[in-house]
Amino acid sequence: MKRKSQDCPSRLPDNSAVKQQQLPAYRLQLSANKILSGFFATGVFCLGVGVILLLSAKTIKEVEINYTEKCANCAKLRENAANFDKECNCSIPFVLPETMKGNVYMYYKLYGFYQNLYRYILSRSNSQLVGTDVKDVRNCAPFKTSHNGIPIAPCGAIANSMFNDTIILSYNLNSSIHIKVPMIRSGITWWTDKYVKFQNPSFQNLSSAFAGTTKPPNWPKPAYELDEEDPGNNGFINDDFIVWMRTAAFPTFKKLYRRLHRIEHFTEGLPAGSYSFNITYNFPVNRFQGEKAVVLSTLTWSGGSSLFLGLAYMVTGAVTWLAFFSMLAVHLRLRERKMFFLQQ
Amino acid sequence: MLCSKKKSLEVERIVKANDREYNEKYQYTDNRIHTCKYNILTFLPINLFEQFQRVANVYFLFLLILQLIPEISSLTWFTTIVPLVLVVTMTAVKDATDDYFRHKSDNQVNNRQSEVLIDSKLQNEKWMNVKVGDIIKLENNQFVAADLLLLSSSEPHGLCYIETAELDGETNLKVRHALSVTSGLGADTSRLAKFDGIVVCEAPNNKLDKFTGVLSWKGSEHSLNNEKIILRGCVLRNTSWCFGMVIFAGPDTKLMQNSGKTKFKRTSIDRLMNTLVLWIFGFLICLGIILAIGNSIWENQVGDQFRTFLFWNEGEKNSVFSGFLTFWSYIIILNTVVPISLYVSVEVIRLGHSYFINWDRKMYYSGKATPAQARTTTLNEELGQIEYVFSDKTGTLTENIMTFKKCSINGRIYGEVHDVLGQKTDMTKKKEAVGFSVNPEADRTFQFFDHHLMESIKMGDPKVHEFLRLLALCHTVMSEENSAGELIYQVQSPDEGALVTAAKNLGFIFKSRTPETITIEELGTLVTYQLLAFLDFNNFRKRMSVIVRNPEGQIKLYSKGADTILFERLHPSNEDLLTLTSDHLSEFAGEGLRTLAIAYRDLDDKYFKEWHKMLEDANAAVDKRDERIAGLYEEIERDLMLLGATAVEDKLQEGVIETITSLSLANIKIWVLTGDKQETAINIGYACNMLTDDMNDVFIIAGNTAVEVREELRKAKENLFGQNRSFSNGHVVFEKKQPLELDSVVEETVTGDYALIINGHSLTVYDQWFITLFNIVYTSLPVLAMGIFDQDVNDQNSMDCPQLYKPGQLNLLFNKHKFFICVAHGIYTSLALFFIPYGAFYNVAGEDGQHIADYQSFAVTMATSLVIVVSVQIALDTSYWTIINHVFVWGSIATYFSILFTMHSNGLFGIFPRQFPFVGNARHSLTQKCIWLVILLTTVASVMPVVAFRFLKVDLFPTLSDQIRQWQKAQKKARPLRSRKPQTRRSSSRRSGYAFAHQEGYGELITSGKNMRAKNPPPTSGLEKTLYNSTSWIENLCKKTTDTVSSFSQDKTVKL
Repeated sequence: MKRKSQDCPSRLPDNSAVKQQQLPAYRLQLSANKILSGFFATGVFCLGVGVILLLSAKTIKEVEINYTEKCANCAKLRENAANFDKECNCSIPFVLPETMKGNVYMYYKLYGFYQNLYRYILSRSNSQLVGTDVKDVRNCAPFKTSHNGIPIAPCGAIANSMFNDTIILSYNLNSSIHIKVPMIRSGITWWTDKYVKFQNPSFQNLSSAFAGTTKPPNWPKPAYELDEEDPGNNGFINDDFIVWMRTAAFPTFKKLYRRLHRIEHFTEGLPAGSYSFNITYNFPVNRFQGEKAVVLSTLTWSGGSSLFLGLAYMVTGAVTWLAFFSMLAVHLRLRERKMFFLQQ
Repeated sequence: MLCSKKKSLEVERIVKANDREYNEKYQYTDNRIHTCKYNILTFLPINLFEQFQRVANVYFLFLLILQLIPEISSLTWFTTIVPLVLVVTMTAVKDATDDYFRHKSDNQVNNRQSEVLIDSKLQNEKWMNVKVGDIIKLENNQFVAADLLLLSSSEPHGLCYIETAELDGETNLKVRHALSVTSGLGADTSRLAKFDGIVVCEAPNNKLDKFTGVLSWKGSEHSLNNEKIILRGCVLRNTSWCFGMVIFAGPDTKLMQNSGKTKFKRTSIDRLMNTLVLWIFGFLICLGIILAIGNSIWENQVGDQFRTFLFWNEGEKNSVFSGFLTFWSYIIILNTVVPISLYVSVEVIRLGHSYFINWDRKMYYSGKATPAQARTTTLNEELGQIEYVFSDKTGTLTENIMTFKKCSINGRIYGEVHDVLGQKTDMTKKKEAVGFSVNPEADRTFQFFDHHLMESIKMGDPKVHEFLRLLALCHTVMSEENSAGELIYQVQSPDEGALVTAAKNLGFIFKSRTPETITIEELGTLVTYQLLAFLDFNNFRKRMSVIVRNPEGQIKLYSKGADTILFERLHPSNEDLLTLTSDHLSEFAGEGLRTLAIAYRDLDDKYFKEWHKMLEDANAAVDKRDERIAGLYEEIERDLMLLGATAVEDKLQEGVIETITSLSLANIKIWVLTGDKQETAINIGYACNMLTDDMNDVFIIAGNTAVEVREELRKAKENLFGQNRSFSNGHVVFEKKQPLELDSVVEETVTGDYALIINGHSLTVYDQWFITLFNIVYTSLPVLAMGIFDQDVNDQNSMDCPQLYKPGQLNLLFNKHKFFICVAHGIYTSLALFFIPYGAFYNVAGEDGQHIADYQSFAVTMATSLVIVVSVQIALDTSYWTIINHVFVWGSIATYFSILFTMHSNGLFGIFPRQFPFVGNARHSLTQKCIWLVILLTTVASVMPVVAFRFLKVDLFPTLSDQIRQWQKAQKKARPLRSRKPQTRRSSSRRSGYAFAHQEGYGELITSGKNMRAKNPPPTSGLEKTLYNSTSWIENLCKKTTDTVSSFSQDKTVKL
């Protein structure tokens, strides 16, 4: 007998838990009680989060001024591409009824601009923008090179269509004293964009780094002259440029333009009073029937959230509760019936 | 294989023995077999060619080509090539492994040794080197190497016995015999080497039971049939050696011809999947068209004005052309909608299941040390959907062991065990078996539990003695003494074996026979009876009789046979006994025992002599010989005195009744294929609970051709519906037409449901890498883990509750309806996944004031939501959480995040700035609170409706499996000690239990004495010698055997 069992030891399958499907297992038993209490708790949670979100969204102060129509003559001028070198300024006065406390952010907002267009998104050269090869324009069609074959830097449709209005906010203390509201133009980009994704070619002199390339056709100035005030903010690492290059997901979007520098009159935020936007109108929107606006906004703990998320949570919570009650009703009625069956 | 294809169609085969050169010119294949498909060189091209015949792979290839067109390409090429390469590689590895094992088994078979006659000497040769025309020697218990013409054997008259289990699954021995001209060659190698016969025969074919050919030798021709052929795959038994000439070798053998091309079996899931994939493909095209039209309209209305920023080429300005290009782009983008990975997943799940089947200790048969083996991985899930089981009888339902269980002698039942209260009880092993230690010849395996019989024998009850004497005398068994001096019985039918062995154990030992005497030992004294006549058995007579003269000079006729027949020929004085005995017979029949009635008649000398004279005349007659003999038999077998009846158990395999009961409960219909007689078939049907007494109408359908059978079946069906009887539980006993190979599935297996999750959401916004990896890495492993490890109900309960099987049979678990629910669910989820982030991101800024509504952040948010939603969904679908499920579910989420952070890392971007533009995205997005709030809301919104839907479904329309799960839960605390006892079923029935597996012709064989060894030379004088023209006994036997076989094969009887 012993020998026989030694002869064929391998034929009997191993008695291991895996092979015998006897692995210790937790049987997920979703009992009615568990499900119902789960629904109840989820409903409470969603309603709670919804209320908090809505309340905090209410604390946000936001001013949006659409200046497409307000600067009608400038808009008209820009409709004709031939007038690109003619400067057009436009001033828009407005009154801030309440103080905007805390950090205030200034955005420009575009309507009907399809930055999410598939070909548009692809029309850029990351290897050029990271500074490794300033002449690499491979994916940039249709803005690869100028008519005479010189590579464009920065190339591509995204860079070429960069938003180039200048917006200056003035605080009108009284009718004669107009204070330029101090704004910070740094810190408006992601750290990784500024220090990893976008790098200038390594040359002591920025203009020589861009030698052998030409500016995008829509740009009035080459990339190394984007910021005349701050030489460190030129070339591919220009903050406004980086913000623009992070393409929006929807055709209506706002992009961060400036942050309030909280000094002097503005340590608390933007005081109530009368203000005006002085806009150098460069970016044409009439050609694609778009609109543009400037937005001033404060933030809350969850960012500049809109009402949607709060409402969505409320609705979800409400629906969950509704489901909870109807399931409870069905279950209770059926349990009676089941008891009846069991008794039989 | 290649050779046989090249060769022109063979019409006739001409083989010359011992002449390789002569046979060479016909280019017959040698005995090497190739079941493998590839070798190292051909593997890659052939395998790739095969793989690219699959629709899925062609589809991928098509996509790849589309992506190489820059105007269309919306995704980079690696999104397609990575899955394609993965799928193709995995399949190739699997095919290669399969083929490797085929190579191994081929080699093992090809290298078996056999003894071949080369240059007048027996030499060991590998199987693969055996050629057509060679003469090879086989020894006992050896496998036959090729299809042979039997030349000579160790047994008298060139007989040899083979077992054909490998060919047709039958374990009983079959007789083959050589032509008398060649059987004389014996084992003389020099004469065998000179044998130069030429065989002209049919071309290779797969008919196992037919062979036609002619042997020309020494100027005369001898016709050959299947009786002279030994097929490859048989095993030589009870024959110490034999010689044969190779007719068909290797791939030409009937065995290989039968196992040739395996037809690819598709399961219903395969078919359904193909249909669904086609639908999805149609859906994809519709989607593409709709999106392309949308694109054209947009280009026309909006994009036209937007051109300031994108100076498209002239050609692309045309909005219709743009739409056309967009169509192809969308086909590429949305390629993940077509669940190609599903095929791979299903394949992997099947593989996992077949391993579980192989590993299952509960399906291990310790008797033969054989574990279950899933021979094909493609059909595993069909095991959960079986509707009909076709089963062989002998060897599958029954062990082909007959045991003498009970008997009724002179109105008294023996073999029933009574307990103290006088109640009948089942025979259990606990009861002490009747000790036969007094009897030195007793067979130790024989067990009989009734001491009363022994007592009656000792008391000298004349009827009991007569009964046992009859059993010892009236049979066709041959006795033999082996070297140890033990008595060995060679039996033609196992029924007789059981009866003679029973008589032997009860003190009436059949010792030996000559053509005209039978010697038995009656309770210690040797008695020799003179055998005067043998009235053979056949299917119409249903009985057999012997007429013997005992030492006292009395002539007696002993008869055994079907109760229905014998009862008609009893002497009127038997009436009381008849009633009693037939009650007993009904009881035996109710227990599924095979019964024979036993009777005798005293004959006076004068009457017998007259009768015998007439029999001699009849035998000598030329015309109507058979009829006349039959008439004489009828005449003498009357006025019989009833002795009693025997009940023999055709031992069922262990657990057959339970299995069949379970199968019936599981709504699986059973068809039993058997070559038995109608009575035996019915009997076994009752014995294993397939037929029960409450089925009061058993329809017997007998027809000789397929058309007739169909007609009969149709009538039976009409009859059934006409009488408004339930048709649901009909089992069919179908007498088999030709041997079919059956893979019997004795036990049920718990097959996991295949949850096939179709992820119908994918939008352009996703990272390309995400699209590439989504199906393969992030979500496939948990699905696989679930498919492989899930158990919805534990094994004990699923065995206890065979009704669980029905939903699978009715295809309720995965069907088109379910699929559409899945699709609707997918659409809902994708809408939630898109519109919740869309609304939340619209016009929103991040915590640091920067905008988070950029397309990359949006993509990351959606992808993360999707992975979490899918994981939660799978977690909810997994009802059985093993450690592996945990690892896969949590692991795939962890993998997702680690891959996400890796791909968005500075390092990768530094090396490949063009391929990884999402640098820093994960870091920035996933640190925003509002993004997590969005993910959470998306998850809740996608999962809650599903949970609610299921809850209501379980509550309102609980399935059986739900109920059992509930019960399981309730029973968790108090572990049930319920073990299923085999249902004992005792009922009396008014049907005959007659069954007797016997063939005509053996009586003649015995009285001719030809199958007796030379050491028992037939006496030169004797009554019978003159009666029969004994030279033709073999031909007669063979003729009759084939007759009966063919009559069985035509007499297909179907009982509903």
